[in-house]
Amino acid sequence: MSTQNNGQNDKKVMLDLKNISLSFGGVKAITDISFNIYEGEVRAIIGPNGAGKSSMLNVINGFYHPQEGEIWFNGEQRKGMKPYEIAYQGIARTFQNIALFKGMSVLDNLMTGRFTHMNKNLFYQAMWKGPAEQEEIANREFVEHIIDFLEIQSIRKTPVGRLPYGLQKRVELGRALAAQPKLLLLDEPMAGMNVEEKEDMCRFILDVNDTFGTTIALIEHDMGVVMDISDRVVVLDYGRKIGDGEPNEVRNDQTVIDAYLGVSH
Amino acid sequence: MFYRESGDFKKTYQEDGQTFPIRFDRWRYWVILAIAFLVFPFFMNDYFANAVMIPFLVWAIAALGLNILTGYCGQLSLGTGGFMAVGAYATYKIMTAFPGMDMFSVIILSGFVTAGVGVLFGLPSLRIKGFYLAVATLAAQFFLIWLFNKVPWFYNNSASGQINAPERDIFGIVITGPHATPLATYLFCLIVAVALAWVARNLTRGRLGRSWMAIRDMDIAAEIIGVNPLKAKLSAFAVSSFFVGVAGSLLFSVYLGAAEVTDTFGINVSFMVLFMIIIGGLGSIFGSFVGAAFMVLMPVLLKNILVGGLGWPTDLAAHLEYIIVGGLIIIFLIVEPHGLAQMARVLKEKLRLWPFPH
Repeated sequence: MSTQNNGQNDKKVMLDLKNISLSFGGVKAITDISFNIYEGEVRAIIGPNGAGKSSMLNVINGFYHPQEGEIWFNGEQRKGMKPYEIAYQGIARTFQNIALFKGMSVLDNLMTGRFTHMNKNLFYQAMWKGPAEQEEIANREFVEHIIDFLEIQSIRKTPVGRLPYGLQKRVELGRALAAQPKLLLLDEPMAGMNVEEKEDMCRFILDVNDTFGTTIALIEHDMGVVMDISDRVVVLDYGRKIGDGEPNEVRNDQTVIDAYLGVSH
Repeated sequence: MFYRESGDFKKTYQEDGQTFPIRFDRWRYWVILAIAFLVFPFFMNDYFANAVMIPFLVWAIAALGLNILTGYCGQLSLGTGGFMAVGAYATYKIMTAFPGMDMFSVIILSGFVTAGVGVLFGLPSLRIKGFYLAVATLAAQFFLIWLFNKVPWFYNNSASGQINAPERDIFGIVITGPHATPLATYLFCLIVAVALAWVARNLTRGRLGRSWMAIRDMDIAAEIIGVNPLKAKLSAFAVSSFFVGVAGSLLFSVYLGAAEVTDTFGINVSFMVLFMIIIGGLGSIFGSFVGAAFMVLMPVLLKNILVGGLGWPTDLAAHLEYIIVGGLIIIFLIVEPHGLAQMARVLKEKLRLWPFPH
């Protein structure tokens, strides 16, 4: 914790979570967790099942409102915001179970990702010709960059329901990227993939981080992947933070090893 | 051979995003419009206008409206009849309060009134979904019918409780009332229907339409991407009710000329429009038209074949008509649960590869 805001570190804190506690009735999902995410880094959140990782992401993008604690995003404290308002602040995410719009084509899914960048009103849209069409084309151009980047040109007009799992995951990443987020949250981007698809996905994540400079927070169970691609790792267990630091530190931390392997207390 | 994308290169995103990407479809579309505007008027007589074309166009507008709400935004509504009644009574009140107003303005204003009422009854959709919302809109249906029966102000205290459309015109051409010609009423309905279909297509292809479909397909993901569920659902209710209101307005003023709320806009109307979009295809503009055609034109066609062609007695034909239409609905839903529009889509896919499907 000493690294944050101490002036000696040139990294800027993008998201700062302070003493977050979240409970559902009597069940404590998250207990007094603090960690931060630097601008431009890949931050992994790991932990055994039920550790509170997904709850943590849901807190970050506003689905859950923690009972205690503060959330600071880009130097501003967040107060009671709705998820769609948080989308406008520049936070996008993917889901553990694919949450694509099944009835729409790949292109329409990605164009929906541009929602926050479009603002022509109902009247212009009803007319179509003119401002609405221009806005559509300008955003289409951006979406085409994403399509090129993710190498999904050939499935542009395919309804997403027809695509195989691996491609659906990729389209979902594309939809999040189309929003040009400052912070991208990935909930198990590699779950259920084979080695090849995992390698592709790793490449995309690192490329996104490199070329767009997007800050990434991801949850992942594949330790090899996590240790390879992340800059810093935070480890949760039973809703508490048990480790935080660079992959090497975390890997050798006794508490973390215990949590994963299980020890008799 | 004739139905191909090859050779039809799209060089701009504008061309790529057009409604009919295949040249043959574009031609067909213009040909149909030309026939409707330039050929049909020469054959227009009282029967063809009042039994076939006008009801088809009016119900197609209503189906478009419900399709926006249910097919595109996923909000099931059983209040269509009630909202059509709002459109009709708004038209009546506007026509009698402002005798000098032209019919286009009357109809558009009635649409806006209905949109307002629709938003009001759409508010529960923020909390309840699916069947429960259907029940809430059913309440709207019964409440609105009750209201128009109960409060004499809506029917200007007329003794019969009916509303009658006075004579109104556009640029001197009489559209409503007993002196309106079939040609004038047909063209009026056609213009309104084509304009509204064009608006519906524009709204559903862009940002707003995608936000509706996003809410329909996965509301949580929609919210994450920045769609405000309140705005998306209420705008769907507003636009949908606008269309339904215009349909109710036309049904009363141009088609029937007089209406009694319980008979004309009862719960069976709501179900009929819902059947139209289910048979035609949810989430499809084309489907709204086909569905309306199926529900409106099929009985007319059957009647012509049975009574006119085979010479059967009218009462027998009328009963058999119900049986056949009901049977056809079931057969169509078994063969293609996603409606006639999906059938057309499959046919197009096949036609694209014909005659070498591999």
